[in-house]
Parts: sequence; structure tokens; C-alpha cells
Amino acid sequence: MNFAFRLMLRDIRSGDLVTLLMALIISVSTVTSIGLFIDRLQLSFEQESANLLAADRLIRSDDAISNEWKLKAEEVALQQAERTSFSTMMFANDALQLSQVSAVTDAYPLKGSYLVDDTLFGTGFSFDEPPQAGEVWVSSRLASLLSITIGDIVEVGDAEFTVAKYLVRDPGSSTSAFAISPRAVINMADLEATNVIIPGSRVRYSLLLAGDRDELAQYEEWVTPQLNEGQRWRTPTERGERIGDTIGRAESFLLLAGTLAVVMSGVAMALASARFVKRHLMQVAILKTLGATPKLLTRVFVQQLLALFVTGALVGLAVGWGMQEIIASLLSGLMSTSLPEPSVSRLWLGAATGLISMLVFCLPLMLRLIKISPLSVLQPNAKIEQNTLFIYLIGFFGMYGLMCLYTKGILLPTIMTVAIAGIALVVAVIGWVAFRLGRSLTSGATSGWQIGLASLYRRLVPNLFQLLVFTLIIMLGLILVGIKSSLISDWQSQLPEDAPNHYLFNVQSNQIDPINNETDKLNVERSDWYPMVRGRVTVVNDQTVQDLYPDDRGEPELYERELNLTWSDTLGEGNTLVEGDFSAQGLSVEQEAAKEANLGLGDVLTLNIGGNNVTLPITSIRTVDWGSMRPNFYLILPKSVLEDYPANFVSSLFISDADAQPFYKSMSQYPTVSILNVGDLLKQIQTIIGQLSQAIQLVLLCILSAGALVLLASVRSTLEERLEEGALLRVLGARSALVRQALLVEFGALGLFSGLIAALGAEACLYGLQVFVFNADASFHGLLWVLGPAIGVCVISTIGLFASRTVLKVPPMHLLRGL
Amino acid sequence: MANSTAIKVTNLTHTVTSNTGNLTILKGINMEIMESESVAIVGSSGSGKSTLLGLLAGLDVNTTGDITLYDQAFSNQNEETRALMRGEYVGFVFQSFHLLPSLQAIENVMLPAELKGDKDARKKAEALLEKVGLSHRLTHYPNQLSGGEQQRVAIARAFASQPKILFADEPTGNLDEENGKLIVELLFDLNKSQGTTLVMVTHDNELAKMCDRQLVMSAGLLTEKTL
Repeated sequence: MNFAFRLMLRDIRSGDLVTLLMALIISVSTVTSIGLFIDRLQLSFEQESANLLAADRLIRSDDAISNEWKLKAEEVALQQAERTSFSTMMFANDALQLSQVSAVTDAYPLKGSYLVDDTLFGTGFSFDEPPQAGEVWVSSRLASLLSITIGDIVEVGDAEFTVAKYLVRDPGSSTSAFAISPRAVINMADLEATNVIIPGSRVRYSLLLAGDRDELAQYEEWVTPQLNEGQRWRTPTERGERIGDTIGRAESFLLLAGTLAVVMSGVAMALASARFVKRHLMQVAILKTLGATPKLLTRVFVQQLLALFVTGALVGLAVGWGMQEIIASLLSGLMSTSLPEPSVSRLWLGAATGLISMLVFCLPLMLRLIKISPLSVLQPNAKIEQNTLFIYLIGFFGMYGLMCLYTKGILLPTIMTVAIAGIALVVAVIGWVAFRLGRSLTSGATSGWQIGLASLYRRLVPNLFQLLVFTLIIMLGLILVGIKSSLISDWQSQLPEDAPNHYLFNVQSNQIDPINNETDKLNVERSDWYPMVRGRVTVVNDQTVQDLYPDDRGEPELYERELNLTWSDTLGEGNTLVEGDFSAQGLSVEQEAAKEANLGLGDVLTLNIGGNNVTLPITSIRTVDWGSMRPNFYLILPKSVLEDYPANFVSSLFISDADAQPFYKSMSQYPTVSILNVGDLLKQIQTIIGQLSQAIQLVLLCILSAGALVLLASVRSTLEERLEEGALLRVLGARSALVRQALLVEFGALGLFSGLIAALGAEACLYGLQVFVFNADASFHGLLWVLGPAIGVCVISTIGLFASRTVLKVPPMHLLRGL
Repeated sequence: MANSTAIKVTNLTHTVTSNTGNLTILKGINMEIMESESVAIVGSSGSGKSTLLGLLAGLDVNTTGDITLYDQAFSNQNEETRALMRGEYVGFVFQSFHLLPSLQAIENVMLPAELKGDKDARKKAEALLEKVGLSHRLTHYPNQLSGGEQQRVAIARAFASQPKILFADEPTGNLDEENGKLIVELLFDLNKSQGTTLVMVTHDNELAKMCDRQLVMSAGLLTEKTL
């Protein structure tokens, strides 16, 4: 066997290599497990969103989908389904009702499932297949409007259908279209027989696609150049944009958490490497006296590191895989859906972290080790050639590079690096003052307290470094706890249990009071009534939209379709003025829409409203809380401009399951009023938020465990010196209790200071995050000020106490000999 | 056949830089040590004995002057060559033993032969440990051995590479009288049987007297002690 490996195998028994190997395994497995878990969550969000679309991708068209497109989809092995939606009258029992009917192929839905029920206004159960030929599923509202139940016959055009189920939710149902009529679903095979689709009918055709990302991307590339006006390529994220923010923040959190895991792993590797090198100084010097040349030693250490890396990476990857499986299985009981399988291709990240950690933290130290003078065997004080700055720089850039690799950007790593540097400065100043004070208070030390406090200043530099490591780890933990709480409470406050789950449209002004009476009777919470007029933007600053976007490419949403306009003299709930004057006689535009259309204050738009042109300047820009589920508008006009146009009104309300049936019954008196039920969508969003909250807590737990291990490694790194001192004290006649007390005081004080500074740092970071990132009001986190010092003192002195057991139990002679 | 020169030192000086300025520890040393000779370097603490030993063994680089081992230039070589020459010519016994704590006794003794790629390292190490009376302690770790036993392992290790020159730095300094005697006997026996040149730094006059020659180090200068 090769000399390097023989030496390494023998070294394993001493435990030092094991410490290094453990640090590597922790590093690789933490990054792997968090990376894989985040990947699974992202896949899961994508799938959840796909459920909202009923497919991975969708082409929506005003004309029938061409056969060529379907053939191409078949060619690239994509699953496909079709949906054709139209409005038509349905007849039953001499009653008739305008309904929104979807005809779907057998493969529909490709993602997600229908929610249907056998009882009227039931909450529903999942069903993966569409109606059979000859069957129709009708919404409970349609059934009550037509007075039909399961088994009854309804007519759609020339065809007759048997009611088979009550439709609770259509997975791909549109929630943004207005003028919603009650829904029904039939099988595509029956569409032709109805004869309802004639030239000029308003029909929406959809081709739904599902498959691998690569195949979908290939198809998208092929089909998008062929899309004409009235055809759109839809992806789940666009469709699920209401939950986009939520997921975006969760992903940022997980990314931040993952980056912290990378930093902690780096610290663990650096500490373990430093310990390894320290303990191998004499070994290398002795080997040199025995004739080992620098070249041979370099080869030995490089081979050892390589073997260490291969072993550590393989074990780390396996452990990481196992850990994320455990997290996922723990979660499976809590989550409504099972997580998709992790992608093997994500494993490289853990392996790369291990390799880079070894290259930047281990290798430079090892190579420096090789430079030790063999003279050290005669003069034990001989030191390694000092080039500390170089080592620190390599470590720093390595860590920075790792963070960049992990976050695929430089913003977060840069912010974190600057923050850590700032904290290091604060720790150095506070630590120096505190340790110095401790020293001056304890001159002439005789008690354990005094010896312990005096030790802090005696080992000033190592103690300050350790204080920094403790502070950083505790602070990172506290920040995560803080963000987690504010993220989750933020989501919960955004979507409370009683968030509006129904919209009422097409309400005439004379119907408002009677409907108010009905809802008041049921004690239903209702938002204000907003007047609504439809209009389209035709001219922007003297240029027609058609001239601006001749082929519709990149046309902003503001110009793309007919918009719902409202008027108001006061800013509604959930609206915040960003710039301009809302009360001015002009247009108020929602910020994101204005940004997309590149509009600002002073730009002039002409709107076509009911055949008349209205030209107004933009006088205010505002943000809108889209998550609030209240009626929201891109454009708000002055009351004086719109009040003469015939308007209908819109409002949102929360209907509990218990109130649903009486509410629908009462609303059947107003057949022209449209009701849009978004409760299921809301439930879906709430499920996703629930999943995210749980996931975040688990990831947090994962990171905190890694942090605890790093703390342990950090305490171990300076333990020997403390043990030696303890043993000497005992040799000189100190009682065990005195030694124990001194150790406890030293570790306890380190823990207390790091906990306090960590709480301070975490509070400052959370303030920044709340104010600048989450746009929320800053709040004080009292809990952190308790948790930080408590964790610091408890964890660090427990480790200290555990370590001091050896000092106290083993005869001091053994200790001194063994050191 | 007349013995050849093992070590030749010409005008050797050594200066170190300290906080208070330059300090010359060795001020022009000249000496010659013949093959198979045993030489004791004696002198008070801080006189420069260990510094000289370190330079003779190529563990440090002198400021001026020359050292040759068996007529080969040694002092002005780079660390790579000096390490190779150490492996070829030199063995060490230290005051504080310097066994590798993570290796068993046998593994410590195997090291020099292993570094040379010797396949029989284990067999040779076993034989050497038997010679020093430790055949029953092969798999013990240094901290499981007494001081005397550790030094015996160190001696076995020093002879494992069959060195032409053995440097010993206070070999009995950390041992009691009885163990010290045992070690000295062992060292001189092996030295004789292997025909090794012995260069020893010691405070112990009795031990010094056992050597063929005694050199006295004083204030950075070396003089021959006439017996």
C-alpha cells in the first residue's frame, strides 16, 4: 500500500483525521440535503402551480388549434389534452341559464384533478377523469338555478346530457375572466353534436401540454414564433402569479438558509483543518528529520486530501440524500401532496462545496505545514513560516466564491460578507473591552470565577476569534428564527381564514341594496362596492397601441385586453400611493402595470369606453395588494369622467361552507348577477403556504443542528490549551471544583457575550429585512434577546462542562503526558 | 584502513535575528569527526550546543561556512537535498523522544525504512525492537510506554535507516538514572556493532567521558577537551 495511505490509516486512529472527515461530511451533507430539499420544494411548487393550469404549459387561442401543432407535440413525446370553452344557454325543466361550458378530451386534466361531489354544494372529492360521453357535470349554482339534480337531463344546443356529478372545481378554470356564468363540463366527443359552435361564436380553445422540461422548452421554441394575435403561450408561474410572491420569498429564505449552511460548513472545515495542522506540526518535523523531503510530504498530503475528499464526498452525499429523505418523509404526514423525487443532477453542488472547502481551507494550511522547519524537533518554539494574510485571503475568496456558486449571483454573498465583516469589527471592539474589564476586575485571582474571567483576556486573540464564530452562528440562527416568524405571520395576515372567497359581478346599482340586505341577514363580511366600466387603451402619448406593437409582441398587459375600469375619489383599502396625487383629475395606474408599459407621471393615455374616447394624463402611481382578494384595478379614473357611463358593480365577500347553500339560494333571485368562487384557489394557496411554513421550520432545524456541530468543533479547537491549564492547576493543588468553575465561567462568559452581540446583530438585520425587503413595519423581537444569551450560555457552557469532565476525572499526570 | 572523515566543519558561523538585534550564536567553528568515532559536545545551557547539532544534521541553515558529510557538501544544499541526505546518512535520538503519538511502537520504527520504500520495513523494525528489548511492546502507543521504553523505541527508530551518523540530543536528559544507564549501554552497543559515527550533545559528564572525544562549547566557540 502507498505510504501516504498507510500513514493516513494509522492517523485515523488518532481521531484528528476523523474530525476533519466529519467536518467534510457535515459540509457536504448539509449543503446536499438542503439543496436537494429546496429542489424538491421548487418542483413541488411548480407542480402545484401546474395544477392551477391543469398542465405544464398551455396554448390559448381564439381559433381552433392547428393539427400541425398537435402532431409536433406528439413528435416530441409531450402529453396533450384539449379544452374548448364557450358560453351557451342550458335548458332543463323549462328553465334556461347562460352557462360557461368546457368540452374536454379524455386526457384532461394533465395536472391536478377535478373536485366533484354527489351532493349539492358539497365540498368535493378528487376525480382524475373528465365526464364520459353523454354526461355533464354542473356546478351546484347552475344546478340550483336550473332546479336539476343528479340523473336529470339538460340540453346544450342540439344535444342532451345526463347530469352525473356536481362540479366543485375545474383544475384549469379561469379565475381572471369576468362576466362569469355558472360552469358545466362535457366530454369533447359530444361537442360536435351540440352544434353550438358556429362561425363568429366566442370560443376559447386551449391545447394543454405536459412533459419533461427539455421537451417543453423545445416545443416552446418551435411554437412561439408561430403564435398570432389572440394566441398565448402560458406557463404555470404566470398563471399562479398570486402565489408567486409567496413562493418567491420562501425561495429567498431557503436560499439564504442554504447559503448560511455553506458558510457554516466552511467555518467547520477551517476549524478542523487548523486543528489538524496544529496537531501535525511535530509529526511533519519528525518526518523531515527522518529524511522525508518536501516533495514527498507534498505528495503524501495531496494524496491524503484526495482520499479524504473522495470518502467525505461520497459519505456526505449519501448522508445528505438520506437527510433530505428523512425531512421529506417527516413532512409527508403534514403535506397534502407528496414531494416529487429529488434530481440526482443536483448532487454536484454538495460535492463542489466539499472540494472547494478542501482546496481553500485545507490545502493551503497543509502546504504551510510542509514548510515547518525540522529544527522544531530541537527547538519546540520554532514556528511555521507565517503567511497568515494569504491563508485568510484564500479562505475569504473561497467562501465568497462558494456563496456565489450557491446563490448564482453576487448580491446576497456581498451583503453577507459586508455584514460579517461589520460584525467582526463590533465583536472585536466589544470583546476587547469586556475581556479587559473582566481582567481588571479580577486581579489577584483566587476563585474559579476570577480565574475564568482572567483567562478571557489572557487568551485574547483566540478568544476573540471564538467569540466571533459563536456570535455569527447564534446570530444566523436568530435571524432565521426571526425571518421565519415574520414570513409566516406575514403570509397568515395576508390570507386570513376569512379572506374573501367570492366575487359578485354584473350587479346593477338598484340591486346593491337588496343584496346588501341578503348578506347582512347571513352576517356575511363584504367589501365596498366598486363601480366597473370596461374600456381599452388605444393611444399612448399620441401613438396608437397598434403602431407601438404592430405584431403584438411584448405588448404589455395594460394594452393587451379590455380592462375593468373604476372610479374613486379616495384610495381604496390595500392601495398605497407611490407617487403623484390621487385626487388630481387624471389616471391612477398600478405600479407594476405602469412599469411593464414603461409609463410614468405625465404620460397621456386615451381610453375607448363604450365607443367614446377619453384622454387623460397619468397623475398618480399606486401599489395594490393583489394577495388581498379584494377587487383591484390597474386603472382608476376620476369620478367625474366615468359616472355618466352605465356601470355595474363588483364586491368581494367571505362565505363560510355553512353559509354557502343559503347564500346561493338567495342569490338565485338575481340571475343576472355573476358569482365567482375563488375559495378553492384560496385553499390551494393556503395549502402551499402551510407547506412552505413547515418546510422552512425543518430547514431551520437542519441549519441549527449544523450550527451546533460547528460550535462543538470551535470549542474543541481551543480545548487542549484549556485542558492543559486545568491539569496544571490540579497539579499545583487546585480542587476539581475550582477548575470546573473556572472552565464554566470562561465558556459561560463567552456564550453570554456572543449571545448578546448576536441578538443585537440579529435585531439590526431583521430591521433591515423588514423595512427594505419585506416592506413591513419594523418590530422589536424581544424573544431574540432572551434566546440569544440563553442559547449562548447553555450550549457553550454545556460543551465546556462536558469537556471538563476529562480534566476532572483523569489523573493530571496522564493528561499532561497525553498532550 | 584509515577511517575517512564523516563530518567536516569549516569556519561555521550562525547568526539569528532577535528583538534586540542580531545575535551570533556560533562564531567560527572548525572541526572534523572521523567515521565510527563517538564525540560528545558539552557546555553550559545556551552555549550553542543544540544549534550546532541542528546545523550538523542539516535541520537548519548556517549563516556562513561549510559542512560536508562524507565529502559531500551539505550545508549549502536546499531542503529537498538535505532531506534526502538526512535519510541516507543520519539518525536521531532526542531528549524528548519525539515518537509520533498516533503510531504504535513498531510503526514508529518502520517509518525511516518506509520512507525509503523498503518492503521489509516491518521485519527490520521487529528485529530492532527485539534488540532494544521491546518485542513484547510492538503494538503499544507511545503514551502507553514509560519514558525509558519510549527512548528505546526512539533508538530503534534511529538505527532503522542504518545511518552512518547518529545525532543524539541529551538522550538521557528526561530519564532516571537506571533507565539512563540502560539507554547509554544500548546506544554505545548499537553504535559499535553498526560502526556508526556518534555525535552527542549532553550535560552529563559521565556520559561524555564514554565518548572517544569531548568538545566543549563556550560562548559560541568550540574547543577540544584534553583528557
